[in-house]
Amino acid sequence: MPKIPVSKLEPGMKLAKPVTAKNGMVMLGEGTELTATWIERIQDMDINNIFVEGPSIQTIAKEDAMDSLNTRFSHVEGKPYMNVIKRIVKEHIEGLYE
Amino acid sequence: MSNIDPKVLRHKVENINTLPTVPGVLKKLSVVIEKPRITLVEISSFISNDPALTTRVLKMVNSAIYGFPGRIASVSHATMLLGLNVIKGLLLGVSVFELMQKTMSGLYEHSLACAIASRVIAQKKGLKEPEEVSVAGLLHDIGKVILTLEFPTEYQVAMNEAQGKGISIFDAEKNQFNATHANVGSWLAEKWRFPSNLIEVIEYHHRPVLAKNAQMETAIVHMADLLVRARGFGFAGGIFVPEVNTIAYELLKLSEGDIKDVLMEMEDNMESAEDIS
Repeated sequence: MPKIPVSKLEPGMKLAKPVTAKNGMVMLGEGTELTATWIERIQDMDINNIFVEGPSIQTIAKEDAMDSLNTRFSHVEGKPYMNVIKRIVKEHIEGLYE
Repeated sequence: MSNIDPKVLRHKVENINTLPTVPGVLKKLSVVIEKPRITLVEISSFISNDPALTTRVLKMVNSAIYGFPGRIASVSHATMLLGLNVIKGLLLGVSVFELMQKTMSGLYEHSLACAIASRVIAQKKGLKEPEEVSVAGLLHDIGKVILTLEFPTEYQVAMNEAQGKGISIFDAEKNQFNATHANVGSWLAEKWRFPSNLIEVIEYHHRPVLAKNAQMETAIVHMADLLVRARGFGFAGGIFVPEVNTIAYELLKLSEGDIKDVLMEMEDNMESAEDIS
């Protein structure tokens, strides 16, 4: 789920997490579909970013993510269970780009 | 070669309240949580009297670290739900946040992700108190905060050595301090009268076979720590993934699907990491 600045909200987006006040009070529940009015209210609250439904946006390129994965595992290649763990993590990261 | 005597180090840790580098908020908290017979009510009012602390505690309780359904809106509700040991750990977690940001950038993200992973694994393994395990995950590297705070130059040397030689930060610390963050963390946890299981997890999360009573919890945090590093969340002193302890791995018997679930849960919640602080 992407986290986006309140200035970029558009009607029709759905909240992936509740919008809460500083003290933790829920102002708008999870799953709420945003209308122009709700967006205006949210923009009047002291909030910078909120979570909306949809695929996450990856900030680094997939090739770079794979390179750093290889670097992180570079000292444990072939050690017991490490290849399995690496493969699972690799598949997980690749899944983020689909 | 190191010239730091572990005895001196331990003495420093045990007198953390007198260290000039330790901020007031942590000292104040330390005095409260090391009382032998502190009650839930006392802790609850200590938190409630501090609005900033209240906000942080509520945010944390309502975060993915604990995964409670519904919303917890009051400190008294939170303390009743979590119990003394978890609340003490959580208070410490929120109080060292700024310190972590200052001393080692990325350590807080590492700790949060580890707390989330620990909770998910504990739930998968059917442990009765997954919240206690997630607090252990949150605090497993607390020793690093003290080491970087008190010995910034020496710690930098250790980090450079870890990076340069491709060794773990744990081994680099041993060369530099004759002790590790696991030792330092367990001294602190003892001083703060944390439950023995939590002390064991902190002390043995790099060598989980040495745990006497909390083998499962220690194996969980060991694995959580490793998965966080494997995924590359945060920074905990070195970038390399260490070898998994085979006995801990076999004890946990996590399926491929289990591990993917842990990674996914971290993924979903680390985006909001800054909101949990």
